[in-house]
Amino acid sequence: MKSGALDAELAAAFEASPNPYMLLTPDLRYAGMNAAYLAAVGARREDLLGRPIFEVFDSGPTEDGRANARQLRASFERVLREGRRDHLALIRYAMPAAGPDGETVLQERFWSATHTPIRDASGRIIYILQHTTDITELEQLRRRAAGADRKRAIDSILSGNVLQRAEHVQQANRELETERNRLLEMFMQAPGFVAVLSGPDHVFQMYNPAYAQLIGHRDLAGKPVREALPEVVGQAYIGLLDAVYATGEPHEGRASRVELQRTPDGPLETVWLDFIYQPIRDDSRNVVGIFVQGHDVTETVLSTERQKLMIDELNHRVKNTLATVQSIAMQTARTHRDPVGFAESFQARLLALSHTHDLLTRSHWEGADLRDVLEHETKAHGPHRISLVGPPVALEPAAALSLGMVFHELATNAAKYGALSVPEGRVLVDWGVSDQTSPVLRLAWREVGGPPVQAPERRGFGSRLIERNVHHDLAGVVELDYAQSGFSAEFSIPLDGRSRQ
Amino acid sequence: MSETLTGRRILVVEDESLVAMLLETILEDMGCTPVGPAATVEDGLGFATDGERLDAALLDVNVAGRQVFPVADALKAAGVPFVFSTGYGEGGLPDEWRGHATIQKPFTEAAVRDALMKAMGQANV
Repeated sequence: MKSGALDAELAAAFEASPNPYMLLTPDLRYAGMNAAYLAAVGARREDLLGRPIFEVFDSGPTEDGRANARQLRASFERVLREGRRDHLALIRYAMPAAGPDGETVLQERFWSATHTPIRDASGRIIYILQHTTDITELEQLRRRAAGADRKRAIDSILSGNVLQRAEHVQQANRELETERNRLLEMFMQAPGFVAVLSGPDHVFQMYNPAYAQLIGHRDLAGKPVREALPEVVGQAYIGLLDAVYATGEPHEGRASRVELQRTPDGPLETVWLDFIYQPIRDDSRNVVGIFVQGHDVTETVLSTERQKLMIDELNHRVKNTLATVQSIAMQTARTHRDPVGFAESFQARLLALSHTHDLLTRSHWEGADLRDVLEHETKAHGPHRISLVGPPVALEPAAALSLGMVFHELATNAAKYGALSVPEGRVLVDWGVSDQTSPVLRLAWREVGGPPVQAPERRGFGSRLIERNVHHDLAGVVELDYAQSGFSAEFSIPLDGRSRQ
Repeated sequence: MSETLTGRRILVVEDESLVAMLLETILEDMGCTPVGPAATVEDGLGFATDGERLDAALLDVNVAGRQVFPVADALKAAGVPFVFSTGYGEGGLPDEWRGHATIQKPFTEAAVRDALMKAMGQANV
């Protein structure tokens, strides 16, 4: 249907309505009215259009008349100022009417009126729509009844139940509206999200900025949940709403996970919510909607998860380290029969492990430099006796820990049986990294100037530890050479993150 | 009791060489023959499926940053009993494996033996 045709039909419906309607411009001039209005006020359309309403109806010269005009004017001004509908339950207003001799006289009428702001597309108020009901007969009936000596049933009905109530309604309405606005304001400003869903399809009637924030500022008003938030279909929430609507039992969700499309075309985002679905009932206790309220607990859930992960990881590392220490103790005990020798070796190995931990702690466990690890494990034997030549090489934590143990064993062995067991002996360590695309560390440990070397009759814990660390933990290769002129070890260790753990 | 374990071939899956050496020492002391050790899930799967006889296995839950459960599945399919070793406690096991024989790091020889016996006993029933 074309909008022109729609407008014409609306205008016809307006004109035909038995209820009197009229439109005022914001400067309170007549902009339009229907036939019922013209009949009620006894005027012709051409006499009203464009004229100020208070010029047409000055309500007469009496104090009462002026008071009534003020009351009406105040109602219009409230509409314009507050932008809200205003009700006048009872207003006395004189209307010009034809007198017995054809002259115009003012005739007292009683009205009930509703004034509604009409806005243009930009939200500006362009008209006030007045909907009036003439209650003159009812009011006169009530007043006559009140004036009679004997109280009549009709009086108690009318004065007690209808008109008095009408007078009070105006006051009560204003109080209710204030209350409603205050509640609405509280909802709107609440840090938690609030929404009101209406009917069995859960149509969004109202939601606050926190709710808008939660769902990524989509336009929800007037849409059912399954249409407004299509991604939640299949996530149990619509089923829960249906159940609350059907049973009238509220539902409470704790740290409940939901996937939401918070940016158009973006990925679904996971949030965790504490929320409650509370049924809204009408006067007959039927469920007519659902009040949704809650808050986003995603940060809390995530930080609890992170904390749990960290504690698990810490526990894992501590237990692994304890198992490592247990292994060092057990293996060391097998090669040292005397408690003093055991204690020395065991402590030295623990300290080697501990030193590498210190290095890693300094870098927040991001890794350590090869030279630092070497220096740490050899400096006890005199730095001038050990030559370290090579470029900086960043080691991952696991590789640093393994190589720390390896260098400790080499240095200890050199001090006991090798080049560092005599004053003139020296250790030359040099290294380089080949193949930058999949880098491999090649490192040589060579002892010179030491006593003649004899290959050990059986492999001790030290050499087993070296070989195992390199093969098993570092996925590398090591060759130990017990040449008579001096012990040497050649390492080849991949650095591309293939080191294990 | 320990003759049940004598001569048994026990696969060790453990990424840290020192811990693997500890387990091997414990196993050797009990008269077992350690197989491996495997430092990764792939190596573990290799040992589990290469057709060599295995009587049982000790599986570190977290191996080189991966979970060992594919190896557990392969062993289960082959009817080889196994024991998890973990630093995470029993809470570190997913529901599927909860209640399975587990040893906690650091180990005692008695704990390793009891857990192996339990696993092998279950498998023999």
